[in-house]
Amino acid sequence: MTMPPVDTKAELALLARMKQGDESAFVALYRKHRDAVYRFALLYAGSPAIAADVTQDTFVHLMTQHRQFDPTRGSIGAWLCGVARNMARKQCGVREDATDPAELQDDARAHDSQVDHQSPLDRLLRGELAEHVRRAVAGIAPHYRDVLILCEVADLSYAEAAQVCGIDIGTVRSRLSRARTQLAQRLASYAPSARGMKEVQS
Amino acid sequence: MTHDVLEDGLGALRRDIAEVHAPAALEAALVARFRQQHRRIARPDFWWLPPLALAATLAVTSWMVRMPHGTQLPAGAATTPAAEADAGPFLALRPLERIALEPGTTVVETEFPRALLADWGLPVAPDHAGEPVRAEMLYSADGEPIAVRLIN
Repeated sequence: MTMPPVDTKAELALLARMKQGDESAFVALYRKHRDAVYRFALLYAGSPAIAADVTQDTFVHLMTQHRQFDPTRGSIGAWLCGVARNMARKQCGVREDATDPAELQDDARAHDSQVDHQSPLDRLLRGELAEHVRRAVAGIAPHYRDVLILCEVADLSYAEAAQVCGIDIGTVRSRLSRARTQLAQRLASYAPSARGMKEVQS
Repeated sequence: MTHDVLEDGLGALRRDIAEVHAPAALEAALVARFRQQHRRIARPDFWWLPPLALAATLAVTSWMVRMPHGTQLPAGAATTPAAEADAGPFLALRPLERIALEPGTTVVETEFPRALLADWGLPVAPDHAGEPVRAEMLYSADGEPIAVRLIN
């Protein structure tokens, strides 16, 4: 789910044309970033329907609120991820105030609608291990999950993740470290079967 | 071992999520929304109001510019484009009674050495005596200069 390669000049040219009403420029920007936005929303929300809504709302935001994008602060892709994050949090009913210590505890849980109520029919990914990891990611606290998805799966830099989440780089590092610890603990129970799968594959 | 489990798990997640794509139906919906938005921007309600206001402003401005303005020239004097400039009053070079009785006068824009002003009793700084001066000369019918005003 890495972000598409950034050609800043070309993207800004597309954005300028889009602002003038050039439909082909909007379509080009959409096609370049749609999958990254959708995948981020899917991992964040754990629901294809919510991910589709979030993706649509994110690109509607691009066409109506493009003045909010500041090219000096990061790429369009990172900005869109930030918009998608806010949309996903609204959709999921997540209330997270980064300054609220009560919600920044290590054992803060994800919203009930996102975890532990999924049946095998809710499977989103093809591979068993990947699906297990996805569910484990969905179970960790939202403020850690954000950073984990952005840095480990979407392959954003720490600086871009900081921009998306509205936090500083040091906080990104510490949250990522805790997120990895939480995820490793959740995956530990799966370790024997995962090793078995690897042995079978090899 | 924990690190291996974590890296294996994240690797599997990266591989599988890369095969997931946004629903195809989204693009059509977004393009329709884009068209709708830009149609609205292209022709808003009262779209005709700004051009109409601009045309009215231009018409009023044009009418005001073409209005005849009063001049400070003596009666009967011909005007030149320079006479419409915002210059100072004419200085009489001959008695005012005689100028008032002149039957036909002409205003001519000219340029002459500043030293000539001394001939008419006007102060001239020696340092600037050689510089040219632009002025409007009021001539009598027989070509005699009877008044002058400096343009700059």
